Amino acid sequence: MLIYVGRRLLLMIPTLLVISFLVFAIIQAPPGDYLTNEINECISRGEMGCSQRIAMLKAQFNLDKPFLEQYALWVVGLLQGNLGYSFEHQLPVTEVVGDRLWLTILVTFATILFTWAVAFPIGVYSAVYQYSLSDYVVTFIGILGLAVPSFLFALILLYFANLFFGLSIGGLMDPQYIDAPWSWGKILSILGHLWIPTIIIGASGTAGMIRRLRANLLDELHKQYVVTARAKGLPFRRALLKYPLRMSLNPFIADIGTLLPELVSGAVIVSVVMSLPTTGPMLLDSLQSQDMYLAGSFLMFLALLTVIGVLLSDLALAALDPRIRLGGGATK
Amino acid sequence: MGTRGMTSYCSARLRGSMLALLAVLLAPAALADSAAIPAQFVEPPMLAEEVAKGALPPVAERLPSVPAVASMAWKGQTLGKHGGEMRMLMTSSKDTRIMVVYGDARLVNYDPNYQLVPDILQAFEAEEGRVFTFHLRPGHKWSDGSPFTTEDFRYYWEDVANNPDTSPAGPPVELLVDGEPPKVEFIDETTIRFSWSKPNWRLLPSIAGPSPLYIYRPSAYLKQFHEKYADPTELKDKLEDSGQQNWAALHNRKDNMYRNDNIDLPTLEPWVLATKPPTERFIFKRNPYYYRVDSEGRQLPYLDKVSFQVTDGKLVPAKAASGEADLAARYVRFDNFTLLKENEKRGNYRVRLWETAWGSQVALFPNLNANDPGWRALLRDVRFRRALSIGIDRSEINEVIYLGLGIEAANTVLPQSPLFDPELSAMWSVFDPEGANALLDEIGLTQRNDDGIRLMRDGRPLEMTILTSGQSPEEGDVLELIRDQWLNIGVSLNWKASERDTIRDCIYSGDCLMSVWTGLENALPTADMSPWELAPMSQVQFMWPKWGQYVETKGEAGEAPDLPEAQQLLDLLAGWNSNTDIETRTTIWQDMLRLYADQVFSIGTIAGVPQPVVVSNRLHNVPEEAVYSWDPGAHFGIYKPDCFWIDPAN
Repeated sequence: MLIYVGRRLLLMIPTLLVISFLVFAIIQAPPGDYLTNEINECISRGEMGCSQRIAMLKAQFNLDKPFLEQYALWVVGLLQGNLGYSFEHQLPVTEVVGDRLWLTILVTFATILFTWAVAFPIGVYSAVYQYSLSDYVVTFIGILGLAVPSFLFALILLYFANLFFGLSIGGLMDPQYIDAPWSWGKILSILGHLWIPTIIIGASGTAGMIRRLRANLLDELHKQYVVTARAKGLPFRRALLKYPLRMSLNPFIADIGTLLPELVSGAVIVSVVMSLPTTGPMLLDSLQSQDMYLAGSFLMFLALLTVIGVLLSDLALAALDPRIRLGGGATK
Repeated sequence: MGTRGMTSYCSARLRGSMLALLAVLLAPAALADSAAIPAQFVEPPMLAEEVAKGALPPVAERLPSVPAVASMAWKGQTLGKHGGEMRMLMTSSKDTRIMVVYGDARLVNYDPNYQLVPDILQAFEAEEGRVFTFHLRPGHKWSDGSPFTTEDFRYYWEDVANNPDTSPAGPPVELLVDGEPPKVEFIDETTIRFSWSKPNWRLLPSIAGPSPLYIYRPSAYLKQFHEKYADPTELKDKLEDSGQQNWAALHNRKDNMYRNDNIDLPTLEPWVLATKPPTERFIFKRNPYYYRVDSEGRQLPYLDKVSFQVTDGKLVPAKAASGEADLAARYVRFDNFTLLKENEKRGNYRVRLWETAWGSQVALFPNLNANDPGWRALLRDVRFRRALSIGIDRSEINEVIYLGLGIEAANTVLPQSPLFDPELSAMWSVFDPEGANALLDEIGLTQRNDDGIRLMRDGRPLEMTILTSGQSPEEGDVLELIRDQWLNIGVSLNWKASERDTIRDCIYSGDCLMSVWTGLENALPTADMSPWELAPMSQVQFMWPKWGQYVETKGEAGEAPDLPEAQQLLDLLAGWNSNTDIETRTTIWQDMLRLYADQVFSIGTIAGVPQPVVVSNRLHNVPEEAVYSWDPGAHFGIYKPDCFWIDPAN
C-alpha cells in the first residue's frame, strides 16, 4: 500500500510538468501577447497614451524574452510558491484570486451536497421501482436537468427569482453586502442567492449520478445473494440498504477526485452568465487577455487539485471496496 | 458600448484639434465663467462632522480662492441638494477609469456649444495656437489637501515625462510638434507657459478629452516613489513590499491617474476611490477639496457617493431593468430598449433615448487594399461598390432591427449637422435591386453558377466572408438581412464572429475583403471641425488600411494611395488645413462629403439609432435629450455629473 501511494506521488511530478508545459504553450499560442491585446484595446477605446503605457509595461515584464525562457522563469517561480503577477489587474496573482477561491469552494460544496442529496434517493427509487410510472417521471426530470443548457436555465431562473422573490440578478449576495463585514444579514443574503447556482450547476451532474447509481444498483439487485436474502425473509429495506447499496456506492467515491476541478472549471459558463464572484469568470477573462501568470498559475493549481483528488479518491475507493483492495493481485 | 468606433488615439486628437484651432484663434484669451462667486459657501452635510472635529478645514478654506461656479447650462438643470448615492453598473475592475471620464475635471473643457473653456484653470491664453499660458486657481488643493500648483506641472515635465526610466518612450506625442518638445516656463506658483515654434493644435483637445492628457501629477504624493526625492532605504522597503522590479515600475504603478485604481493617489475629480481593487463593488466618495460650487455656494458634487457594481456585461440590461442602477447607458444597447421600457414602473426609472453621433450604426467597409487580385479589381471598381450599396434594403433593416426608429442613409453626416445634404444621404442608398443587377452586369459579371451566384472572370463565385467582433448580436442580425438581400443580386455573403485582434490583423494585411464597424465617428461636425475621417489618414480606417498607414507613418509603411479619388480627398483635406476662412472650409467639406458618398467608400445602413439611457426617478439634472458621444462629450461628462442630485426625501 505504501509503495503504491509512493509510486503515485512520484508519478505526479512528471504529470504536472507536462501539464505546465501544455498550459503555457496553449495560453501563448494565440498570436500576440498581453501587450498587443492591451494596445489594441487601448486604441479602440480612444484612450490617451497607449504607446507610452505599452513601452513602460514592456520594460517591466519579460514579455520580449523567448518562449522557453519565459516558461522556465514561470515554473521556477511556481516551485518557489510565487504564483506570479497579473498584468491585467496589476496585482500579484494571490491577491486577485483571494476571496474568489473561498466563494468557489462554497458554491462547489453546496453543489456537491445538492447533487448527492438529489441523486441518491432518486437513483435508489428508480432502481427499486424500475419501470414504474414514478421511475419514468423522476428520471425525466433528471434528464431534463442534463439536457437544458445550463446558461439558459440560469437566465430563466434568475429572471423569475427577480420577478417573484425580488432577488437581485446575478452575484452571490445583495450589492450592499459586498465587501461589508460578516453579519447575519450577509450570510442570509448569500444563502438566498446560493440556491440558484447550486441547482443549475448541480442539475447536469445529478442526471449522470442518478443513471449510474440506478444501473449499478440494478446489477446488484438481480444477483443471487439478494434473491436468497429475500427468500429467507430478510425485510426488503434492510436487505437493500445493507448490501446492494453499498456495492453501488462506488461511483460516488470515484467521482470525488474529478468532481472538484470539474465543478470549478465546468461552472465557468454559468458563473459568467450569473456574474458570480468565483474563479470561473476570472479564468475566462485572463485567458481572453492572455494574462499569462494569472491564467497559468490558476490552471496549474487546478491541475494539482485534480491529481491529488484522483489519488485520494482512488485510496478512498480502495478503503471502501475490498474487491479493489484485494482483487488487484488476483486477476494476474 | 459607446466607445466602439474608429477612434484611434491619433484620430480623436486630430478631430478635436481642428475645433480647438478655431477656438484659440477667435478667443485668444479665454476666461473662466465669471459668474458671481457666492459670498457664502455651504458645507456638505457628509463632511460636517469631520470639520467639527477639526479633521478637515471648513469649506471656505478647502475651496480655491476663486472656485469655479457651475453654470447649469443644460436644459432642465436646476440647483440641487447635497446627499445620496448614485449606483452604476460596470463590467470589470478596469472600469474605475470610467469615473475619471464621467467626473470630467479637466484643465480646459467643452462647454455646451463644444467650445473650449477653462475649467480647472482659472484662465488661459493661446497665442497663435503655439504659445499657451495657463493660470491655475490660487489655493486649489488635491483631494488629500496638498496644494495644486505649478510644482505639480514641473514634477511631471521634468521628473516624469523627461525621465528615461519612468518614460522610456519620452514625452507624449501630443506635446511634440514635428518632434519638437515645448519650451516650458514656470512663471510663478499659478502660472505656466508652454511654447512651440509652430502651432500645436492637438494640445487643448487632448487635455479636454475623455481620456485626457495629464500634464501634471500629484507631486507631493508621488515624490516618495521617485528615486530623486525619496529616502533610499524607505524606497527600497516599498519596492520590496510591492514586488515591482525597480523604482520606475513602482512609480508608474502608483501613478495612474486615468486608470484610477490607486486608492491613495490624490485626484482633482469630484469623487475619490474609496475601495481597493479587486472588488465587486467600487465606492467613490466625495472629494472634500473639489473646486466647483453652485451659484448658491454649495460645494459640488451634490452626490456624496457613487458606486460601481461589477457584473457581467450581458447582465447589465437585466439589472438595469430591475432597478439596480440609478444611471446606466454603458453596455446598454438599443435592442434592450423594449425590455427597459416594459420594466420602467417596476424598476422606478425612465428610459430616455439620446442621439448617438455616429454616421452609421453598422457600416460595411470594402477593403480597397485587398490582396486577392480578382477581388481587389472588383472592390476598386466604383460600380461594384455602388451595386452592393443599392442592393441593400435599408427599410427592412430599419423595421426589423431598429423598430423603424433609425434613419436609412449612407454613411455621411447626420441631419442635425449644418453640413447635412439630403441628396448625399440618399446617394447610392436607395434600394434598387434592378439597378444593382444592371451595374453588376455592366462590369461583366454575367455568368452565374447553379445557386444563382455570379462568377468572377476567373470562374470563382462572388463569395465574401465578413468578420465581426461578436461583441453584440446587432451586427450579426444586420448581416443576416443583408445576406438575404444580396442573394437577389447574385452576391453571396458569409459572416462569422471573431476576436478583435484577428479581425484587425486580417484587415490591415489585406486578407479580409470586407469588414463591419460603426460609421463616421463624429457625424455632427461643423465646418471648423476637421474632415480627416473622409480621407485616408490612419490604418484604423478599414476601407483603406494600407493607404492610411502610409499617410500616418509619413511613407514609412503601407502603400501610397493610388486611386485618384482617394488622392483627391487628401488634397481637399490639405486645403482645409491651410485655409481658415469659414466659407472655403464649408465648400471643402461639401466637396469631400460628395466625393465620399459618390464613391461609396463605406456602405452605411442605418444612422441615428438612439442610445437608451436609464435614469432612475430619484436622480435629477440628467438632460432629457442629449447627444451620447465619446469625444467630445465623454458620454456623461459634458453634462456634468457633479451637478446630478438625488432628493434626500426620496
